[in-house]
Amino acid sequence: MWSRRRNIEAGDMVILWLTRDAVHPLVVTPGKELNNRFGVYRHADFIGKLYGSKISSRNGRGFIHVLRPTPELWTLALPHRTQILYAADIAFITGMLGLKPGSIAIEAGTGSGSFSHSLARTLGTRGKLHTFEFHETRVNRAREEFQVHGLSEVITISHRNVCKDGFGLENAADANLPAPWDAIPYAHIALKKDRVARICCFSPCMEQVLRTVAALNEAAFSDVTMFETLLRPSEVQQIPLQSIDAVTEKLKMGEVQKEARRLRQIEAAGVGHKRKREDLDSTIDSADTANNIPLLQQDMKHYSQSHSGTTINPLTVVKAPPEVRGHTSYLTFATLLPVASVTLEPRGGDVWQDVWR
Amino acid sequence: MEVVQEVPDATPTASTSTVPATAPGANSHVIKLGDHVIFRMPSQQTRIYKLEEKTTVNLGKFGSFPAANLIGHPFGLTYTIHDLGELRVMQPEVVKELEETQATNEYIEDIGEAVQPLTFEEIEALKKSGADAAEIISKQITSHANFELKTEFSKEKYKKRKQAKFSKTFTALAPSVPHLLDHLTAQGPQRVQWLRIDTMAQMLTFANVQEEGRFIVVEDCGGLVVGAMLERMGGKGRLLEIHDADSPPAHHMLGMMNLTEQELSPLRVLNWATADESHTPIFPPTELSGKKAKSDRERKRIEKRKEAVNLVLETRRELFEGDWDGMIVVSQYDPYSIVNRLGQYLGGSANCVLHSPYSSVLAETQLKLRQEGGWLNLQLTEGWLRRYQVLPGRTHPDMNVQGSGGWLLHAIKVYVLLS
Repeated sequence: MWSRRRNIEAGDMVILWLTRDAVHPLVVTPGKELNNRFGVYRHADFIGKLYGSKISSRNGRGFIHVLRPTPELWTLALPHRTQILYAADIAFITGMLGLKPGSIAIEAGTGSGSFSHSLARTLGTRGKLHTFEFHETRVNRAREEFQVHGLSEVITISHRNVCKDGFGLENAADANLPAPWDAIPYAHIALKKDRVARICCFSPCMEQVLRTVAALNEAAFSDVTMFETLLRPSEVQQIPLQSIDAVTEKLKMGEVQKEARRLRQIEAAGVGHKRKREDLDSTIDSADTANNIPLLQQDMKHYSQSHSGTTINPLTVVKAPPEVRGHTSYLTFATLLPVASVTLEPRGGDVWQDVWR
Repeated sequence: MEVVQEVPDATPTASTSTVPATAPGANSHVIKLGDHVIFRMPSQQTRIYKLEEKTTVNLGKFGSFPAANLIGHPFGLTYTIHDLGELRVMQPEVVKELEETQATNEYIEDIGEAVQPLTFEEIEALKKSGADAAEIISKQITSHANFELKTEFSKEKYKKRKQAKFSKTFTALAPSVPHLLDHLTAQGPQRVQWLRIDTMAQMLTFANVQEEGRFIVVEDCGGLVVGAMLERMGGKGRLLEIHDADSPPAHHMLGMMNLTEQELSPLRVLNWATADESHTPIFPPTELSGKKAKSDRERKRIEKRKEAVNLVLETRRELFEGDWDGMIVVSQYDPYSIVNRLGQYLGGSANCVLHSPYSSVLAETQLKLRQEGGWLNLQLTEGWLRRYQVLPGRTHPDMNVQGSGGWLLHAIKVYVLLS
């Protein structure tokens, strides 16, 4: 696959990480220059640097990170030629199909080759991915990419409409994915019959799921189940979380200040003092105004003191982003059991081995 | 052996023959002596057995049989258990469309005995007389007062429920990661840190686990995560587990995965003391002391100890050399403390995936790592999974499911200094 060496060499495919939303693939070509909003870079500057390095631009406009490609980064960086499966689906399908080095898998619909890369990583050099695509331009582009990425050994790509012409494989694969429903009878032919083989179909719409399920039942697949899976990202922040105690005290202080202001105004009015006596009674418990002012001032001092020392400890919180992916595809899984309608004798093991090996 | 249906095509096609016999687990689809097998019973409960020569597999009320009867069969088939533990392979179940009728439960009163006069004692007597599941169920249906009033869906459900009770059948499943995780979760999800298959799969993908890679793992799942990683490495590369015991971890779950010697070969272990670069491990003497000639047994013992010590020293050297491709942590210990210790050994662009059942634990870790720098694309995520029953005309999500598979913090290691 991609370079496994520590240092970047000429000709290496690298992933440039500018920001989370700006991730680009690049083949390091001495003599070439790179220009973006984070500055000017010469490809030659990358050579000899460690993968994962932070590289500053020639004109001091900024810096970028140079990463080793992974199928996940490649998918992020990929110009999206077709609807691609997302990380959560890719991970889940690979896990549920039990793919591992040495497995043989069939991919119906290469598309932009995003899943192919991920599968090739898992199947390894001893495994095989047969991938099929009916759109010729996509086939050629994907084939070229697999070549550049050193995946030609693992991946065989064919220009073929599998829904019409089948896979041209018989009894050959451990897993088939993500098969459209009308390719299911062909998938049955292509899958191995001496062991449990698995299939995964993905359908953006529920109606397609129902067709898929009917086709799977028709083709004698068993254990048909369907899943939806999502990766839900979270934002981590620190927020000042205030207690109501603080606001209660603030409001109380407001009350005291307001009352003090009112009393001052009354005092200033002076003459009207006796006439307003009744109003005062209703709020200040029949006390003498003159005595009350210093008392209120004391209160205010108390409130402000009890508050000046209050620091709010930031709290670490986890929050869902305002918008997240709500649906990708329905993933329908099924099992093709080894053809085995045989009655066994209690010690039938020996006879069986001839059939199954 | 009576062949009822066509035998699989025995001639290998071109593509199968291109796989060398040495491919990892090349023969792992066949049940062999010493293999673990997960038995799924009609009740959907599972039991796991290691099949030895003399093992009797006991599935409680569903029956028992000698394990030897399964040797040489492919995994995945469903069997009925007959007298004396004789096994017969069942035809794969065919799902049929159900004809909808006008029936509703408008007139159905559920009043126990009046509906089903067949008593528990009578059913037990039937079982004793040798009646099989089909006979018992058909007796129950005949005597059921309201059965014909039921909708077709409801009739089907009734039969299924009864089959789960009386059928003497089981399915022999391979202990693959999804099946094993299902089994272990039913036993108690805390034993596998509440991991769910989607979350487990994400860890393997995000950490870029593959052949010939060099990975570090810290886990408290009895070796399940170690095993899942080893499976994806196909016997090539290096997997270094750091654990908290003074002797190598028992790895109960890893032992259930039927991995081959070759698949297990990338694994090395250190504990938190021997993985500490500033610490000089204290080993018992590895040289024969004194002039007196020791017995053969003692010499062998010392030799073995020397090998073990050398392995630890060699593994330490490998760890401290750094440049590891990735790390997965599913631990009860503070993940930050683990990254703080082991992060330095990861190479540039390495993937680090931390799991916790608690979002707050990883949130704190994310904040600290963000402040420290040296990590790109720090992302805290939670997997969401919903499974649907897709029987014709009865498509709906499962009613009771595992609440969460835990949280993942994923980051890419980068160098802080400009170069």
